[in-house]
Amino acid sequence: MMNKSNIPEVGANFAEGEQGKWGMVIDRDLCTGCQACVAACSMENNVAFVGEEDSGYGRSMHWIRIERFWEGEYPEVKMTSQQPVLCQQCGHAPCEPVCPPFAAVHSQAEQLNLQVYNRCVGTRYCANNCPYQVRVFNWRDYTDDRLDPALVTLKNQYNPDVTVRRRGVMEKCTFCIQRIHKAQDKAKSEGREVADGEFTTACAQACPANAITFGRVDNPESLVSQLAGQNRGSKLLEELGTLPQVTYLNGG
Amino acid sequence: MSKNFSRRDFLKLAGVGAATTAVLTGCGPASKYVTRQQYLEMPEYNYNGQSTYYATTCRECAAACGLVVRTMQGRALKVDGTANHPVNFGKTCARGQAALHGLYNPDRVTDPVQRTARGGDATTIMGWDAAVQTVADALKNNQPSEIAFLMGMAPDHLFDLVTDLAKTTGINAPVRFGALGAFESRTTLSKASEVVFGQASIPFFDMGGADVVFSFGANFLETWLSPVAYTRGFSNMRRANHTKQRGYFVQFEPRMSQTAAKADEWIPVVPGTEGLVALAIGKLAAEARGVSMPRAFAGVDAADVAVRSGVKLETLERLAGMFANSASALAVPGGAALGQSNGLGTAEAVLTLNALADNLGKPGGVSFSPVSPLNDEYHRPASMKEMQDFIQQMAAGKFKVLFVHGVNPAFELPASLDFAGASANVGQIISFSTFPDETALLADYVFPDHHSLESWGYQRAATGAAQSVLSGAQPVVSPYFNTRSTVDVLLAAAQLAGGDFATALPFADEYEFIQNKVSVLVGEAGGLFSAPDLPTFIAYFQQHGGWWKTEAGFVTPSAPDALNRNINVSEAQFAGEGEFVLLPFVSPTLGEAGANKPWLQELADPTTTVMWNTWVEINPVTAHELGLENDDVVKIVSEAGELEVPVYLYPAIRPDVIAIPFGQGHTAYGRYAAGRGANPAKLMGPHFNEAGDIAFAGMKVKLEKTGRQQFLSRLESRMGVYGEGMGEEH
Amino acid sequence: MIKRIFDWLRQPLGLVAVGIAFLALFSLAAYGIYYTQQPPAQPIQFPHKTHVAFGIQCLYCHPGAERGPSPGLPSTAKCWACHQQIAKTQTSLLLAPLVESVRTGVPVQWVPVAQVPDFVQYNHRPHIAAGLNCEDCHGDLTKMTIYENPQVMNMGWCLNCHKEKSAGNPELETKLLDCGTCHY
Repeated sequence: MMNKSNIPEVGANFAEGEQGKWGMVIDRDLCTGCQACVAACSMENNVAFVGEEDSGYGRSMHWIRIERFWEGEYPEVKMTSQQPVLCQQCGHAPCEPVCPPFAAVHSQAEQLNLQVYNRCVGTRYCANNCPYQVRVFNWRDYTDDRLDPALVTLKNQYNPDVTVRRRGVMEKCTFCIQRIHKAQDKAKSEGREVADGEFTTACAQACPANAITFGRVDNPESLVSQLAGQNRGSKLLEELGTLPQVTYLNGG
Repeated sequence: MSKNFSRRDFLKLAGVGAATTAVLTGCGPASKYVTRQQYLEMPEYNYNGQSTYYATTCRECAAACGLVVRTMQGRALKVDGTANHPVNFGKTCARGQAALHGLYNPDRVTDPVQRTARGGDATTIMGWDAAVQTVADALKNNQPSEIAFLMGMAPDHLFDLVTDLAKTTGINAPVRFGALGAFESRTTLSKASEVVFGQASIPFFDMGGADVVFSFGANFLETWLSPVAYTRGFSNMRRANHTKQRGYFVQFEPRMSQTAAKADEWIPVVPGTEGLVALAIGKLAAEARGVSMPRAFAGVDAADVAVRSGVKLETLERLAGMFANSASALAVPGGAALGQSNGLGTAEAVLTLNALADNLGKPGGVSFSPVSPLNDEYHRPASMKEMQDFIQQMAAGKFKVLFVHGVNPAFELPASLDFAGASANVGQIISFSTFPDETALLADYVFPDHHSLESWGYQRAATGAAQSVLSGAQPVVSPYFNTRSTVDVLLAAAQLAGGDFATALPFADEYEFIQNKVSVLVGEAGGLFSAPDLPTFIAYFQQHGGWWKTEAGFVTPSAPDALNRNINVSEAQFAGEGEFVLLPFVSPTLGEAGANKPWLQELADPTTTVMWNTWVEINPVTAHELGLENDDVVKIVSEAGELEVPVYLYPAIRPDVIAIPFGQGHTAYGRYAAGRGANPAKLMGPHFNEAGDIAFAGMKVKLEKTGRQQFLSRLESRMGVYGEGMGEEH
Repeated sequence: MIKRIFDWLRQPLGLVAVGIAFLALFSLAAYGIYYTQQPPAQPIQFPHKTHVAFGIQCLYCHPGAERGPSPGLPSTAKCWACHQQIAKTQTSLLLAPLVESVRTGVPVQWVPVAQVPDFVQYNHRPHIAAGLNCEDCHGDLTKMTIYENPQVMNMGWCLNCHKEKSAGNPELETKLLDCGTCHY
């Protein structure tokens, strides 16, 4: 008989205003748009490159992208501060309730939005419902070395801690959950808690301008909480009620 | 589908098919058993399934950033910065991150080869013994004056080895070159610094401590000198804390570069007038401060400069006031401002502003980076004028044998210097290139060096660090292909050649050579570590990824007369004819040699978001006057050549300027680079500034429509140029 | 057109044809299941039971299990440390691949049996730390020559145990039943 615990819970399990667990602060005043985070993310997470034609169709698979917009016209033209956009790990994520096979689910343990690749059947409902446009879809077998012999050597670099995704699967930023697990595992084996700043995500680790900070938002002592608490922080499309976990610092 | 075949029938049949497939495939573990190799002998510091980390040095550019590479079971998985390395403090740029796509690139030169005919793809594989014999013969059978080495700006240990060889045997001293060095106008910067500060070196600009930064074309957030170190400086400048305010940053350049995009103010000056603007700001700032007018700025007419530079006089006065009233103002010369016929004068004018700001040797000011260990002074790479001389010697048949390592002159040098043509008069060309690049195609032999992550070595940090730094490199993985270290090849060949060569290089292998070099540091005080003997020192050297002083060692520029000398900023001369000034810039994501790495190609350009190609930036108003739209292919005609490139309507560029990135347009260099984009080096004529650097930004060009279109892949099309219509095609 | 196919299938001959087709499909499927459950061929018919009988602990050869994700294969050097002292090694047909490996320096190509798919991130360490013994998942190696999985290692089997072990401890339950614990 089907009891209730067999049905996965959909959506957030915490009320509006409550904190999640992991969060990020990105200082737009410091971000130089140099793409080091994008390269670092792709190398850490086995993100596939898609080539010129497919990227022209908008199929490139960046898990993090740097947005910039123009204001005004020459000579009074200004580029808005660069804004790295990655999965906001919403507390109330629009992608989750629309996934038919429950591949986009909320992790109760880490308070992250998960994408379970083996469940994903590629309906792409989640990407259509994501207001941040941060979910990317594998339109082809970009990682199959039988189709692209170049990958026979390039795949030596793949991170064994991260699944290599295949065609027809949606994917997105995970807040480097493999690093979270590794740090937690190490801390547990040494009988302690994970310290603030002990590990960080690939993007934050690479960022030459130190614009990205990652950590526990439920710990008021952590660096990320203190930065987020400054009065120049804002969250993307917060008015939609998505409870994003990424805070952007604007201005100086 | 026939009309009798209903949707319901289709679903029925599909259901039967799906059930069958499920039964056949859904049973138990997939039948894909892989094999796994055991270690023959596991290194004692390894554990199965656990990563081992090695400290080494990045060689994607010459800045000498320290890297820690994560490896597992003999494969390199991830590159990150060395946390306490004085150049990069744990950070990396995109090019450093993508180094692994160079290491595991499918198009590397896998074996030593002999080329059947120069310029052709056909090669025959030879053994390393024959290769070493070939090098030995080349050394032995030619007069020393007929042997030349052309090398890149990294690695330094190989450069030191060839320099030692040249000193003992009388072969030509190695010539170093790199396109990045040319676009940075390193010679101009170093000459100007000699004139103004009395030391021919690259000044260090301490952005982190400055309140106001005026940059005249320096693209320090992209590829300039030591980009990771300068990005850190920028970040510290911008960060307000209890001791300082958020710094204010103004960039003067004709096109909004990625660096200018981060500026609080972008001043689109007329190309070639940056030096005049600097002088005018100096004059107005001196007036604002109420000091007696320094001779350096006395002869400038600010109102005239305002007219010529296209910057309003009020703007100049406002900025000068800001510069004068700041407790810690800094002026930085660089980039396209120095790549003009008057570049040396511009560099002098901008450096002199720092003397006016009285920031020399102070925090937030200009200093000289301490000289690196194993070095007497800063040795700059060859200027373009010196490269022209070198190529003329090649063309005159002076060199019987040319060794090339770590540089790709056939791609990086302006086509007008005709390296390829001159190479026909060189008897034998031996390339040590890791990749089949354009120069390797011109070589008779390619004896591939290891990739930098498979190599021993060291690199000196010329600038960017506060301390004296020798960054150490060690192999993080064993060689993937049948390559051999160039140092080992030269050492073995020198022994075979005998005579002076054998006495000059009496080392068994590269490791012994490096030990010999760094042995002078054993027992040196004030270092990161001290070791009583060489083996201990080497162990620490490998563990930490180098050796550096713990105390900052900045040298204060001595400039007693900087303000009291005349500065001559002549009118900029432009070669060629046409309505546009062409501004080539180094692609911030690709750099000079990143085009063969697929993930660097896939990165969006920070300003245009274009991927995988070359574009030409035109002001939208000008473009519409010419009837040009995005993706229209235009022909750029310069005095030296022509190039067909798709148009990108760039909102932040002067209407009389067009800009094109350097980095693409390879004809060889592997599958990801070859046949992609266009190379602006084809457009550059042999024109130089007073210091001998190429006046790469001093060109007038014409635009011709071709009537064709080529669609550029851009990341922004997903969200629209002005942010309208997320998800719509623009 | 499709209606005609279905009409034909309803007559007796059609029913027989469907029956034969079903039987063929069924036996093919049965063979498929049988085939995929066969342990793979190994270069050496490694007798686990002999080694265990000598009192060698699992962690002696597979020490990684205690430290991290992968228990690891012992290096050739580790095998050789004992085997070079055993005279029979040189003559045994069974051990010829090992001797060959030592002589040529080419590693022995083993075929891992206890595998999880690529999309599962499995880590041995927390399982050992939680007090599980090797045989709890891998079966009784004192009775096996080459290793065979004692049961199908699928997600239901994993989750059953996770549920049992975490029952009554809400915090542990959240962690052990979270998709993100194994899939990322």
